[in-house]
Amino acid sequence: MWRFRQFLSSLMSLTVWSVLFTSQTNVFGYNRAEMISYIFMAAILHGLVLASALYGLAERIYSGDISSLLLKPVSLFSYLAIEEVADKGRNILATLIESGILIALFQPEIVLPSAYTTVVFLLWAAGGVILNFLFSLLFGTLGFWSPDTWGPKFLFFIFLDFSAGKLFPLNILPDWLQSALFLTPFPYLTFMQTQVFLGKVAIDKILIHSSALLLWIVLFYLLNKFLWHWGFKNYAAQGQ
Amino acid sequence: MPEPVITVRNLKKHFSVYKKEPGLLGSVRSLLRREYETVAAVDDISFSIKQGEVVGFIGQNGAGKTTTLKMLAGLLYPTSGEVSVLGFNPWNRENAFQKQFSLVLGQKNQLWWDLPAMETFLLNQAIYDIPNPRFRKTLNKLVDLLDVKDSIQIQVRKLSLGQRMKCELIAALLHNPKVLFLDEPTIGLDVIMQKTLRDFISEYNKEYNATIILTSHYMDDVKELCERVIMIDHGKKIYDGLLSSIINKYARNKILSVVFAAPVSKNDLKKFGTIKHLTGSSATLLVSRKDATKIAARLLESLPVQDLNIEEAPLEAIIREVFGNRAKIA
Repeated sequence: MWRFRQFLSSLMSLTVWSVLFTSQTNVFGYNRAEMISYIFMAAILHGLVLASALYGLAERIYSGDISSLLLKPVSLFSYLAIEEVADKGRNILATLIESGILIALFQPEIVLPSAYTTVVFLLWAAGGVILNFLFSLLFGTLGFWSPDTWGPKFLFFIFLDFSAGKLFPLNILPDWLQSALFLTPFPYLTFMQTQVFLGKVAIDKILIHSSALLLWIVLFYLLNKFLWHWGFKNYAAQGQ
Repeated sequence: MPEPVITVRNLKKHFSVYKKEPGLLGSVRSLLRREYETVAAVDDISFSIKQGEVVGFIGQNGAGKTTTLKMLAGLLYPTSGEVSVLGFNPWNRENAFQKQFSLVLGQKNQLWWDLPAMETFLLNQAIYDIPNPRFRKTLNKLVDLLDVKDSIQIQVRKLSLGQRMKCELIAALLHNPKVLFLDEPTIGLDVIMQKTLRDFISEYNKEYNATIILTSHYMDDVKELCERVIMIDHGKKIYDGLLSSIINKYARNKILSVVFAAPVSKNDLKKFGTIKHLTGSSATLLVSRKDATKIAARLLESLPVQDLNIEEAPLEAIIREVFGNRAKIA
Protein backbone atom coordinates (compact mmCIF):
# COMPACT_ATOMS: atom_id res chain seq x y z
CA MET A 1 0.00 0.00 0.00
CA TRP A 2 2.92 2.34 0.78
CA ARG A 3 4.22 1.95 -2.75
CA PHE A 4 0.75 2.54 -4.17
CA ARG A 5 0.60 5.79 -2.17
CA GLN A 6 3.90 6.88 -3.73
CA PHE A 7 2.56 6.00 -7.18
CA LEU A 8 -0.61 8.06 -6.59
CA SER A 9 1.49 10.97 -5.29
CA SER A 10 3.57 11.02 -8.52
CA LEU A 11 0.42 10.61 -10.65
CA MET A 12 -1.19 13.61 -8.94
CA SER A 13 1.93 15.78 -9.29
CA LEU A 14 2.20 14.95 -13.00
CA THR A 15 -1.49 15.69 -13.56
CA VAL A 16 -1.37 19.06 -11.73
CA TRP A 17 1.79 20.23 -13.48
CA SER A 18 0.55 19.00 -16.89
CA VAL A 19 -2.61 21.09 -16.41
CA LEU A 20 -0.55 24.15 -15.38
CA PHE A 21 1.66 23.85 -18.44
CA THR A 22 -1.31 23.76 -20.85
CA SER A 23 -1.66 27.56 -20.53
CA GLN A 24 2.00 28.51 -19.86
CA THR A 25 5.40 27.48 -21.18
CA ASN A 26 7.39 28.54 -18.10
CA VAL A 27 6.40 28.18 -14.45
CA PHE A 28 8.82 29.34 -11.71
CA GLY A 29 11.75 29.08 -14.17
CA TYR A 30 10.88 25.48 -15.21
CA ASN A 31 9.66 24.54 -18.67
CA ARG A 32 7.36 21.56 -19.12
CA ALA A 33 10.13 19.03 -19.91
CA GLU A 34 12.19 20.14 -16.91
CA MET A 35 9.27 19.96 -14.50
CA ILE A 36 8.16 16.52 -15.71
CA SER A 37 11.80 15.33 -15.49
CA TYR A 38 11.96 16.81 -11.97
CA ILE A 39 8.88 14.84 -10.87
CA PHE A 40 10.21 11.58 -12.32
CA MET A 41 13.63 12.12 -10.79
CA ALA A 42 12.13 13.11 -7.41
CA ALA A 43 10.11 9.86 -7.42
CA ILE A 44 13.16 7.73 -8.29
CA LEU A 45 15.29 9.50 -5.68
CA HIS A 46 12.54 9.03 -3.13
CA GLY A 47 12.78 5.29 -3.68
CA LEU A 48 16.57 5.37 -3.73
CA VAL A 49 17.35 7.85 -0.96
CA LEU A 50 14.41 8.48 1.34
CA ALA A 51 12.81 5.02 1.52
CA SER A 52 14.40 3.22 4.45
CA ALA A 53 14.07 -0.07 6.25
CA LEU A 54 15.21 1.62 9.45
CA TYR A 55 12.16 3.74 10.26
CA GLY A 56 11.17 1.16 12.88
CA LEU A 57 14.64 1.05 14.42
CA ALA A 58 13.70 3.05 17.53
CA GLU A 59 10.91 0.58 18.34
CA ARG A 60 13.30 -2.35 17.80
CA ILE A 61 15.72 -0.77 20.27
CA TYR A 62 13.11 0.12 22.86
CA SER A 63 11.51 -3.33 22.75
CA GLY A 64 14.90 -5.03 23.04
CA ASP A 65 14.65 -6.70 19.63
CA ILE A 66 18.19 -5.72 18.72
CA SER A 67 19.59 -7.80 21.60
CA SER A 68 19.87 -10.96 19.50
CA LEU A 69 21.96 -9.00 16.97
CA LEU A 70 24.18 -7.50 19.66
CA LEU A 71 25.04 -10.98 20.91
CA LYS A 72 26.30 -12.17 17.53
CA PRO A 73 29.77 -11.69 16.03
CA VAL A 74 28.50 -9.22 13.46
CA SER A 75 28.54 -5.43 13.47
CA LEU A 76 25.07 -4.06 14.14
CA PHE A 77 25.65 -1.19 11.71
CA SER A 78 26.82 -3.50 8.91
CA TYR A 79 23.73 -5.62 9.46
CA LEU A 80 21.45 -2.56 9.34
CA ALA A 81 23.27 -1.28 6.25
CA ILE A 82 22.61 -4.60 4.46
CA GLU A 83 18.93 -4.42 5.45
CA GLU A 84 18.87 -0.89 4.04
CA VAL A 85 20.50 -1.89 0.73
CA ALA A 86 18.05 -4.80 0.32
CA ASP A 87 15.12 -2.50 1.00
CA LYS A 88 16.41 0.09 -1.47
CA GLY A 89 16.83 -2.55 -4.15
CA ARG A 90 13.18 -3.53 -3.73
CA ASN A 91 12.05 0.10 -3.79
CA ILE A 92 14.08 1.03 -6.87
CA LEU A 93 12.65 -1.93 -8.76
CA ALA A 94 9.12 -0.87 -7.80
CA THR A 95 9.86 2.79 -8.70
CA LEU A 96 11.15 1.79 -12.13
CA ILE A 97 7.98 -0.21 -12.83
CA GLU A 98 5.80 2.70 -11.63
CA SER A 99 7.81 5.19 -13.72
CA GLY A 100 7.35 2.94 -16.77
CA ILE A 101 3.56 3.07 -16.27
CA LEU A 102 3.65 6.87 -15.83
CA ILE A 103 5.84 7.31 -18.93
CA ALA A 104 3.38 5.20 -20.91
CA LEU A 105 0.49 7.31 -19.60
CA PHE A 106 1.98 10.80 -19.99
CA GLN A 107 4.56 10.18 -22.74
CA PRO A 108 6.71 13.00 -21.38
CA GLU A 109 9.79 14.62 -22.85
CA ILE A 110 12.57 13.97 -20.32
CA VAL A 111 15.74 16.07 -19.98
CA LEU A 112 18.82 13.84 -20.01
CA PRO A 113 22.09 15.03 -18.43
CA SER A 114 25.64 15.08 -19.84
CA ALA A 115 28.16 12.39 -18.85
CA TYR A 116 29.91 14.77 -16.42
CA THR A 117 26.60 15.74 -14.80
CA THR A 118 25.60 12.08 -14.57
CA VAL A 119 28.77 11.27 -12.61
CA VAL A 120 28.14 14.17 -10.20
CA PHE A 121 24.49 13.14 -9.93
CA LEU A 122 25.42 9.55 -9.04
CA LEU A 123 27.98 10.70 -6.46
CA TRP A 124 25.49 13.08 -4.86
CA ALA A 125 22.79 10.40 -4.91
CA ALA A 126 25.21 8.07 -3.07
CA GLY A 127 25.88 10.91 -0.62
CA GLY A 128 22.13 11.35 -0.14
CA VAL A 129 21.74 7.62 0.58
CA ILE A 130 24.50 7.78 3.22
CA LEU A 131 23.07 10.97 4.74
CA ASN A 132 19.58 9.45 5.01
CA PHE A 133 21.04 6.25 6.51
CA LEU A 134 22.75 8.38 9.16
CA PHE A 135 19.46 10.27 9.76
CA SER A 136 17.63 6.99 10.25
CA LEU A 137 20.28 5.73 12.68
CA LEU A 138 20.05 9.00 14.58
CA PHE A 139 16.27 8.66 14.87
CA GLY A 140 16.77 5.11 16.01
CA THR A 141 18.68 6.30 19.09
CA LEU A 142 15.40 7.75 20.43
CA GLY A 143 14.53 4.15 21.30
CA PHE A 144 17.27 4.08 23.95
CA TRP A 145 15.36 6.62 26.02
CA SER A 146 11.73 6.78 24.98
CA PRO A 147 8.94 4.52 23.74
CA ASP A 148 7.24 7.51 22.04
CA THR A 149 9.02 7.76 18.72
CA TRP A 150 5.99 7.99 16.43
CA GLY A 151 5.29 11.70 17.07
CA PRO A 152 8.81 13.05 16.36
CA LYS A 153 9.07 10.74 13.34
CA PHE A 154 5.76 11.91 11.88
CA LEU A 155 6.75 15.59 12.19
CA PHE A 156 10.14 14.80 10.70
CA PHE A 157 8.66 13.10 7.64
CA ILE A 158 6.23 15.97 7.01
CA PHE A 159 9.13 18.41 7.16
CA LEU A 160 11.29 16.06 5.08
CA ASP A 161 8.72 15.83 2.27
CA PHE A 162 8.68 19.61 2.12
CA SER A 163 12.35 20.44 2.71
CA ALA A 164 13.85 17.72 0.52
CA GLY A 165 11.83 19.01 -2.44
CA LYS A 166 9.58 15.99 -2.78
CA LEU A 167 6.37 18.02 -3.16
CA PHE A 168 7.78 20.79 -5.41
CA PRO A 169 11.19 22.20 -6.36
CA LEU A 170 12.62 24.29 -3.51
CA ASN A 171 13.69 27.07 -5.86
CA ILE A 172 10.08 28.14 -6.35
CA LEU A 173 10.15 29.28 -2.69
CA PRO A 174 11.05 32.85 -1.61
CA ASP A 175 14.81 33.52 -1.41
CA TRP A 176 14.87 33.94 2.38
CA LEU A 177 13.19 30.52 2.87
CA GLN A 178 15.56 28.85 0.41
CA SER A 179 18.54 30.36 2.26
CA ALA A 180 17.14 29.10 5.57
CA LEU A 181 16.59 25.60 4.16
CA PHE A 182 20.15 25.48 2.85
CA LEU A 183 21.37 25.90 6.42
CA THR A 184 19.93 22.42 7.03
CA PRO A 185 21.02 19.09 5.48
CA PHE A 186 17.59 18.39 3.94
CA PRO A 187 18.12 19.88 0.44
CA TYR A 188 21.12 17.53 0.10
CA LEU A 189 18.94 14.43 0.41
CA THR A 190 17.19 14.64 -2.98
CA PHE A 191 16.64 18.23 -4.09
CA MET A 192 20.23 19.08 -5.09
CA GLN A 193 20.48 15.75 -6.93
CA THR A 194 17.48 16.64 -9.10
CA GLN A 195 18.96 20.09 -9.77
CA VAL A 196 22.28 18.68 -10.91
CA PHE A 197 20.43 16.14 -13.08
CA LEU A 198 18.51 18.97 -14.77
CA GLY A 199 21.75 20.95 -15.28
CA LYS A 200 20.58 23.74 -12.97
CA VAL A 201 23.74 23.78 -10.80
CA ALA A 202 26.58 25.95 -12.11
CA ILE A 203 29.93 24.14 -12.47
CA ASP A 204 31.61 26.51 -9.97
CA LYS A 205 28.93 25.68 -7.35
CA ILE A 206 29.37 21.90 -7.62
CA LEU A 207 32.45 21.83 -5.39
CA ILE A 208 30.77 24.02 -2.75
CA HIS A 209 27.68 21.81 -2.61
CA SER A 210 29.79 18.63 -2.67
CA SER A 211 31.74 19.96 0.32
CA ALA A 212 28.50 20.88 2.13
CA LEU A 213 27.12 17.36 1.55
CA LEU A 214 30.36 15.80 2.81
CA LEU A 215 30.36 18.07 5.85
CA TRP A 216 26.83 17.04 6.79
CA ILE A 217 27.79 13.37 6.41
CA VAL A 218 30.82 13.80 8.71
CA LEU A 219 28.77 15.78 11.22
CA PHE A 220 25.99 13.20 11.37
CA TYR A 221 28.52 10.37 11.55
CA LEU A 222 30.12 11.97 14.62
CA LEU A 223 26.74 12.73 16.19
CA ASN A 224 25.69 9.10 15.65
CA LYS A 225 28.92 7.82 17.14
CA PHE A 226 28.38 9.85 20.30
CA LEU A 227 24.66 9.09 20.67
CA TRP A 228 24.97 5.35 19.98
CA HIS A 229 27.82 5.03 22.49
CA TRP A 230 25.76 6.91 25.07
CA GLY A 231 22.63 4.95 24.13
CA PHE A 232 24.30 1.54 24.51
CA LYS A 233 25.31 2.53 28.04
CA ASN A 234 21.62 3.20 28.74
CA TYR A 235 20.35 0.15 26.88
CA ALA A 236 18.09 -1.89 29.11
CA ALA A 237 17.51 -4.87 26.73
CA GLN A 238 13.87 -4.79 27.78
CA GLY A 239 11.56 -7.66 27.10
CA GLN A 240 14.52 -9.91 26.50
CA MET B 1 43.20 -26.63 39.48
CA PRO B 2 41.44 -25.16 36.42
CA GLU B 3 41.43 -21.37 36.02
CA PRO B 4 38.09 -19.57 36.33
CA VAL B 5 36.35 -19.04 33.00
CA ILE B 6 34.03 -16.41 34.47
CA THR B 7 35.15 -13.87 37.04
CA VAL B 8 32.86 -11.22 38.47
CA ARG B 9 34.08 -8.65 40.97
CA ASN B 10 31.88 -6.15 42.82
CA LEU B 11 29.43 -6.00 39.94
CA LYS B 12 26.67 -3.41 40.17
CA LYS B 13 23.86 -2.36 37.87
CA HIS B 14 21.65 0.47 38.95
CA PHE B 15 18.68 1.69 36.91
CA SER B 16 17.12 5.09 37.23
CA VAL B 17 13.34 4.74 37.05
CA TYR B 18 10.71 7.43 37.38
CA LYS B 19 7.62 7.10 39.50
CA LYS B 20 4.27 8.10 38.04
CA GLU B 21 1.01 8.52 39.88
CA PRO B 22 -1.97 6.81 38.21
CA GLY B 23 -4.54 8.62 36.09
CA LEU B 24 -4.55 11.63 33.79
CA LEU B 25 -3.47 14.04 36.54
CA GLY B 26 -0.52 11.79 37.32
CA SER B 27 0.46 11.81 33.63
CA VAL B 28 0.31 15.63 33.47
CA ARG B 29 2.30 15.93 36.70
CA SER B 30 4.94 13.53 35.41
CA LEU B 31 5.38 15.74 32.34
CA LEU B 32 6.13 18.78 34.51
CA ARG B 33 8.01 17.21 37.36
CA ARG B 34 9.36 13.70 37.49
CA GLU B 35 10.55 11.89 40.52
CA TYR B 36 13.34 9.46 39.82
CA GLU B 37 14.37 6.54 41.94
CA THR B 38 17.55 4.48 41.66
CA VAL B 39 16.93 0.75 41.67
CA ALA B 40 19.88 -1.51 42.43
CA ALA B 41 19.10 -4.48 40.15
CA VAL B 42 22.52 -6.02 40.88
CA ASP B 43 24.29 -4.83 43.98
CA ASP B 44 27.94 -5.69 44.54
CA ILE B 45 28.05 -9.29 43.38
CA SER B 46 31.31 -11.27 43.15
CA PHE B 47 31.90 -14.87 42.12
CA SER B 48 34.01 -17.01 39.83
CA ILE B 49 33.12 -20.11 37.82
CA LYS B 50 35.51 -22.77 36.52
CA GLN B 51 35.42 -24.47 33.16
CA GLY B 52 32.85 -27.24 32.93
CA GLU B 53 30.83 -26.12 35.95
CA VAL B 54 27.05 -25.92 35.76
CA VAL B 55 25.91 -23.25 38.18
CA GLY B 56 22.30 -22.48 39.05
CA PHE B 57 21.24 -18.89 39.61
CA ILE B 58 18.35 -18.90 42.03
CA GLY B 59 16.26 -15.96 43.09
CA GLN B 60 12.76 -14.59 43.13
CA ASN B 61 11.39 -12.48 40.27
CA GLY B 62 13.32 -9.22 39.99
CA ALA B 63 16.19 -10.53 42.11
CA GLY B 64 18.78 -9.60 39.46
CA LYS B 65 19.49 -12.97 37.84
CA THR B 66 18.70 -12.02 34.25
CA THR B 67 20.37 -8.61 34.63
CA THR B 68 23.55 -10.38 35.75
CA LEU B 69 23.40 -12.74 32.76
CA LYS B 70 22.87 -9.80 30.39
CA MET B 71 25.97 -8.11 31.80
CA LEU B 72 27.98 -11.32 31.43
CA ALA B 73 26.82 -11.49 27.80
CA GLY B 74 27.78 -7.85 27.14
CA LEU B 75 24.23 -6.62 26.54
CA LEU B 76 24.13 -4.32 29.55
CA TYR B 77 26.79 -1.90 30.66
CA PRO B 78 27.60 -2.33 34.35
CA THR B 79 27.29 0.67 36.68
CA SER B 80 30.54 -0.48 38.30
CA GLY B 81 32.61 -3.60 38.89
CA GLU B 82 34.56 -5.98 36.71
CA VAL B 83 33.49 -8.88 34.52
CA SER B 84 35.71 -11.28 32.66
CA VAL B 85 34.33 -14.13 30.54
CA LEU B 86 36.88 -16.38 28.77
CA GLY B 87 39.43 -13.60 29.38
CA PHE B 88 37.31 -10.96 27.58
CA ASN B 89 35.47 -7.93 28.84
CA PRO B 90 31.98 -8.77 27.48
CA TRP B 91 31.07 -5.10 27.00
CA ASN B 92 33.71 -4.77 24.26
CA ARG B 93 31.67 -7.27 22.19
CA GLU B 94 34.71 -8.63 20.38
CA ASN B 95 33.97 -11.17 17.65
CA ALA B 96 36.42 -13.65 19.19
CA PHE B 97 34.39 -13.57 22.40
CA GLN B 98 30.97 -13.66 20.78
CA LYS B 99 31.91 -16.78 18.81
CA GLN B 100 32.48 -18.64 22.09
CA PHE B 101 29.30 -18.07 24.07
CA SER B 102 25.53 -18.13 23.76
CA LEU B 103 22.70 -16.59 25.70
CA VAL B 104 19.37 -18.38 25.51
CA LEU B 105 16.39 -16.44 26.82
CA GLY B 106 13.35 -18.64 27.38
CA GLN B 107 10.84 -15.88 26.76
CA LYS B 108 12.41 -14.39 23.63
CA ASN B 109 13.75 -15.94 20.53
CA GLN B 110 16.34 -15.32 17.89
CA LEU B 111 14.54 -17.43 15.30
CA TRP B 112 12.94 -15.63 12.35
CA TRP B 113 9.24 -15.82 13.14
CA ASP B 114 7.95 -16.08 9.57
CA LEU B 115 10.63 -18.40 8.22
CA PRO B 116 11.52 -22.03 8.94
CA ALA B 117 14.12 -22.47 11.70
CA MET B 118 16.52 -23.84 9.07
CA GLU B 119 16.85 -20.32 7.62
CA THR B 120 18.07 -19.02 10.99
CA PHE B 121 20.50 -21.94 11.26
CA LEU B 122 21.95 -21.06 7.83
CA LEU B 123 22.19 -17.38 8.76
CA ASN B 124 24.01 -18.33 11.97
CA GLN B 125 26.36 -20.54 9.97
CA ALA B 126 27.33 -17.47 7.93
CA ILE B 127 27.53 -15.12 10.91
CA TYR B 128 29.61 -17.49 13.05
CA ASP B 129 31.69 -18.52 10.05
CA ILE B 130 31.12 -22.25 10.61
CA PRO B 131 32.69 -24.47 7.90
CA ASN B 132 30.04 -26.46 6.05
CA PRO B 133 31.13 -30.00 7.09
CA ARG B 134 31.23 -28.97 10.78
CA PHE B 135 27.89 -27.17 10.45
CA ARG B 136 26.20 -30.23 8.91
CA LYS B 137 27.70 -32.58 11.50
CA THR B 138 26.65 -30.42 14.47
CA LEU B 139 23.23 -29.71 13.03
CA ASN B 140 22.47 -33.37 12.34
CA LYS B 141 23.60 -34.32 15.81
CA LEU B 142 21.52 -31.64 17.54
CA VAL B 143 18.48 -32.37 15.39
CA ASP B 144 18.72 -36.08 16.25
CA LEU B 145 19.30 -35.46 19.96
CA LEU B 146 16.31 -33.13 20.21
CA ASP B 147 14.19 -35.05 17.73
CA VAL B 148 13.11 -32.09 15.58
CA LYS B 149 13.91 -33.41 12.11
CA ASP B 150 10.35 -32.74 10.93
CA SER B 151 10.11 -29.27 12.50
CA ILE B 152 13.07 -27.37 11.10
CA GLN B 153 11.53 -26.89 7.65
CA ILE B 154 8.26 -25.49 9.05
CA GLN B 155 7.61 -21.78 9.68
CA VAL B 156 8.61 -20.98 13.27
CA ARG B 157 5.24 -19.33 13.98
CA LYS B 158 3.54 -22.67 13.32
CA LEU B 159 5.66 -24.66 15.79
CA SER B 160 4.62 -25.53 19.33
CA LEU B 161 6.42 -23.85 22.23
CA GLY B 162 8.41 -27.02 22.91
CA GLN B 163 9.51 -27.41 19.28
CA ARG B 164 10.42 -23.71 19.15
CA MET B 165 12.51 -23.94 22.30
CA LYS B 166 14.36 -26.96 20.90
CA CYS B 167 15.09 -25.06 17.65
CA GLU B 168 16.12 -22.07 19.75
CA LEU B 169 18.66 -24.25 21.55
CA ILE B 170 19.98 -25.60 18.25
CA ALA B 171 20.44 -22.04 16.91
CA ALA B 172 22.33 -21.15 20.08
CA LEU B 173 24.59 -24.21 20.00
CA LEU B 174 25.50 -24.54 16.32
CA HIS B 175 28.82 -22.81 16.91
CA ASN B 176 29.63 -25.08 19.88
CA PRO B 177 29.89 -22.33 22.53
CA LYS B 178 32.23 -22.89 25.46
CA VAL B 179 30.05 -20.79 27.74
CA LEU B 180 26.29 -21.02 27.85
CA PHE B 181 23.95 -18.64 29.66
CA LEU B 182 20.49 -20.19 29.95
CA ASP B 183 17.73 -17.97 31.26
CA GLU B 184 14.60 -19.97 32.04
CA PRO B 185 15.14 -22.43 29.16
CA THR B 186 12.26 -24.67 30.23
CA ILE B 187 9.67 -21.99 30.98
CA GLY B 188 6.18 -22.87 29.76
CA LEU B 189 7.13 -26.40 28.70
CA ASP B 190 5.37 -29.55 29.85
CA VAL B 191 7.18 -31.89 32.24
CA ILE B 192 8.25 -34.33 29.53
CA MET B 193 9.73 -31.57 27.40
CA GLN B 194 11.43 -30.08 30.46
CA LYS B 195 13.07 -33.43 31.16
CA THR B 196 14.18 -33.76 27.51
CA LEU B 197 15.82 -30.34 27.58
CA ARG B 198 17.48 -31.00 30.94
CA ASP B 199 18.96 -34.26 29.67
CA PHE B 200 20.15 -32.46 26.56
CA ILE B 201 21.82 -29.65 28.53
CA SER B 202 23.52 -32.19 30.78
CA GLU B 203 24.76 -34.13 27.74
CA TYR B 204 26.08 -30.94 26.12
CA ASN B 205 27.94 -30.01 29.31
CA LYS B 206 29.61 -33.41 29.49
CA GLU B 207 30.51 -33.65 25.82
CA TYR B 208 31.95 -30.17 25.35
CA ASN B 209 33.04 -29.49 28.95
CA ALA B 210 30.99 -26.32 28.57
CA THR B 211 30.54 -23.86 31.40
CA ILE B 212 26.86 -23.23 32.01
CA ILE B 213 24.96 -20.72 34.10
CA LEU B 214 21.30 -21.57 34.41
CA THR B 215 18.44 -19.57 35.87
CA SER B 216 15.17 -21.34 36.40
CA HIS B 217 12.09 -21.19 38.54
CA TYR B 218 11.71 -24.93 38.13
CA MET B 219 13.70 -26.46 40.94
CA ASP B 220 13.87 -29.78 39.11
CA ASP B 221 16.09 -28.05 36.53
CA VAL B 222 18.45 -26.86 39.26
CA LYS B 223 18.36 -30.14 41.19
CA GLU B 224 19.19 -32.26 38.15
CA LEU B 225 21.76 -30.04 36.51
CA CYS B 226 23.54 -27.93 39.11
CA GLU B 227 25.90 -29.08 41.79
CA ARG B 228 26.56 -25.48 42.76
CA VAL B 229 24.05 -22.68 43.20
CA ILE B 230 24.31 -18.92 43.61
CA MET B 231 21.34 -17.38 45.34
CA ILE B 232 20.46 -13.77 44.70
CA ASP B 233 17.97 -11.63 46.54
CA HIS B 234 17.29 -7.96 45.86
CA GLY B 235 20.45 -7.76 43.77
CA LYS B 236 22.71 -9.19 46.46
CA LYS B 237 24.34 -12.58 46.62
CA ILE B 238 23.11 -14.42 49.69
CA TYR B 239 24.58 -17.87 49.07
CA ASP B 240 27.23 -19.40 46.85
CA GLY B 241 28.02 -23.06 47.35
CA LEU B 242 26.92 -26.65 46.93
CA LEU B 243 23.22 -27.28 46.52
CA SER B 244 23.54 -30.29 48.85
CA SER B 245 24.98 -28.08 51.62
CA ILE B 246 22.05 -25.73 51.53
CA ILE B 247 19.62 -28.67 51.55
CA ASN B 248 21.38 -30.17 54.59
CA LYS B 249 21.36 -26.82 56.33
CA TYR B 250 17.81 -25.69 55.63
CA ALA B 251 15.77 -28.84 55.12
CA ARG B 252 14.51 -29.45 58.64
CA ASN B 253 12.23 -32.32 57.67
CA LYS B 254 12.11 -35.39 55.50
CA ILE B 255 9.05 -36.99 54.00
CA LEU B 256 8.09 -40.60 54.75
CA SER B 257 5.75 -42.11 52.18
CA VAL B 258 4.24 -45.32 53.52
CA VAL B 259 1.96 -47.98 52.09
CA PHE B 260 0.36 -50.32 54.66
CA ALA B 261 -0.89 -53.89 54.24
CA ALA B 262 -4.14 -52.90 56.02
CA PRO B 263 -5.74 -49.53 56.82
CA VAL B 264 -4.29 -47.72 59.86
CA SER B 265 -5.88 -45.06 62.05
CA LYS B 266 -4.84 -41.46 62.47
CA ASN B 267 -4.12 -42.09 66.16
CA ASP B 268 -1.71 -44.90 65.32
CA LEU B 269 0.23 -42.62 63.00
CA LYS B 270 0.37 -39.25 64.70
CA LYS B 271 2.96 -40.36 67.29
CA PHE B 272 5.52 -40.83 64.47
CA GLY B 273 5.27 -37.36 62.94
CA THR B 274 3.04 -34.76 61.31
CA ILE B 275 0.49 -36.40 59.04
CA LYS B 276 0.35 -34.61 55.70
CA HIS B 277 -1.88 -37.10 53.98
CA LEU B 278 -3.75 -40.27 54.92
CA THR B 279 -6.14 -42.27 52.74
CA GLY B 280 -6.95 -45.83 53.75
CA SER B 281 -3.72 -47.74 53.54
CA SER B 282 -1.33 -45.03 52.32
CA ALA B 283 0.09 -42.05 54.20
CA THR B 284 2.64 -39.25 54.01
CA LEU B 285 4.41 -38.09 57.15
CA LEU B 286 6.65 -35.14 57.81
CA VAL B 287 9.41 -36.14 60.25
CA SER B 288 12.45 -34.50 61.75
CA ARG B 289 15.39 -34.80 59.35
CA LYS B 290 17.86 -36.09 61.94
CA ASP B 291 15.44 -38.72 63.30
CA ALA B 292 14.06 -39.88 59.95
CA THR B 293 15.87 -43.22 59.90
CA LYS B 294 14.97 -44.08 63.50
CA ILE B 295 11.31 -43.18 62.96
CA ALA B 296 11.22 -45.30 59.80
CA ALA B 297 12.59 -48.27 61.77
CA ARG B 298 9.97 -47.80 64.51
CA LEU B 299 7.23 -47.62 61.91
CA LEU B 300 8.37 -50.89 60.35
CA GLU B 301 8.29 -52.56 63.77
CA SER B 302 4.98 -51.15 64.97
CA LEU B 303 2.70 -51.15 61.91
CA PRO B 304 2.01 -53.50 58.96
CA VAL B 305 4.21 -51.60 56.49
CA GLN B 306 4.24 -52.91 52.93
CA ASP B 307 6.38 -50.19 51.34
CA LEU B 308 8.29 -47.19 52.72
CA ASN B 309 10.19 -44.33 51.11
CA ILE B 310 12.28 -41.60 52.73
CA GLU B 311 12.37 -38.47 50.58
CA GLU B 312 13.88 -35.00 50.80
CA ALA B 313 11.46 -32.12 51.24
CA PRO B 314 10.75 -30.38 47.89
CA LEU B 315 13.56 -28.04 46.90
CA GLU B 316 11.01 -25.25 46.46
CA ALA B 317 10.17 -25.44 50.17
CA ILE B 318 13.85 -25.40 51.13
CA ILE B 319 14.51 -22.37 48.91
CA ARG B 320 11.55 -20.58 50.50
CA GLU B 321 13.10 -21.35 53.87
CA VAL B 322 16.45 -19.90 52.73
CA PHE B 323 14.89 -16.67 51.48
CA GLY B 324 12.89 -16.47 54.70
CA ASN B 325 16.17 -16.69 56.64
CA ARG B 326 18.00 -14.28 54.35
CA ALA B 327 19.22 -12.05 57.21
CA LYS B 328 20.83 -15.03 58.94
CA ILE B 329 22.90 -16.24 56.01
CA ALA B 330 23.79 -12.90 54.40
